[in-house]
Amino acid sequence: MEESKDVPKDFIKLKSEKLSVDEVSELVVSPYCGAVSLFIGTTRNNFEGRKVIHLEYEAYTSMAETEIQKICRDVRQKWPSVKHIAVHHRLGVVPITEASVIIAVSSPHRAESLEAVMYCINTLKASVPIWKKEIYEHEYSWKENKECFWANSEK
Amino acid sequence: QVSVLYFARSAELAGLRCEALSVPREITSLQLWEEIVKVHPRLAVIRDQVVFAVRQEYVLLGDQLLVLQPGDEVAIIPPISGG
Repeated sequence: MEESKDVPKDFIKLKSEKLSVDEVSELVVSPYCGAVSLFIGTTRNNFEGRKVIHLEYEAYTSMAETEIQKICRDVRQKWPSVKHIAVHHRLGVVPITEASVIIAVSSPHRAESLEAVMYCINTLKASVPIWKKEIYEHEYSWKENKECFWANSEK
Repeated sequence: QVSVLYFARSAELAGLRCEALSVPREITSLQLWEEIVKVHPRLAVIRDQVVFAVRQEYVLLGDQLLVLQPGDEVAIIPPISGG
């Protein structure tokens, strides 16, 4: 079997259109892999008793793509059997229940892809320059990930 | 002259997303912050919650000496919330 035609690839995209789970999982499917693991981050309709109308995302796009590339490199070092990685993040307005981020990883066996997906989302939240604004009925709030080491979450 | 990029809350406080700024070629990250606050005093309120990204590498506000080239991108990075 020739594996050279199925070279491991990273698929990174930041886009304002609706994300597609089918599209992202199809990117990573491989005949050499028995597992595709997926994470979908969706928009909740409430925060601390306030009704969330929608979310708005913005990004330092060029640096965000570079940081996600670094995450993919780390994943391949930690889990060498991982085949393909796809990270799609939405920018702009995201309505309630729609996906803000979809991460898919394929590997021959399930343990690696499951662990790699978790690592991707956790590290993305700690290091990728993307910001989320929650829009409520009468106000809005810039969110801060607890994973972000320069946020003052205790204040 | 460097390109200063503003994002999220810092863009709201500064009132813009991008501008050219003249700064010394060698400057500490804290001094760079102070130069930017001179132009946009409203940014002072977020001083404890931001880091820089200089040529797309994160830099804390402090004594770290930066060696800047003309056209370098310096971004103000409020706490992130991707994912």
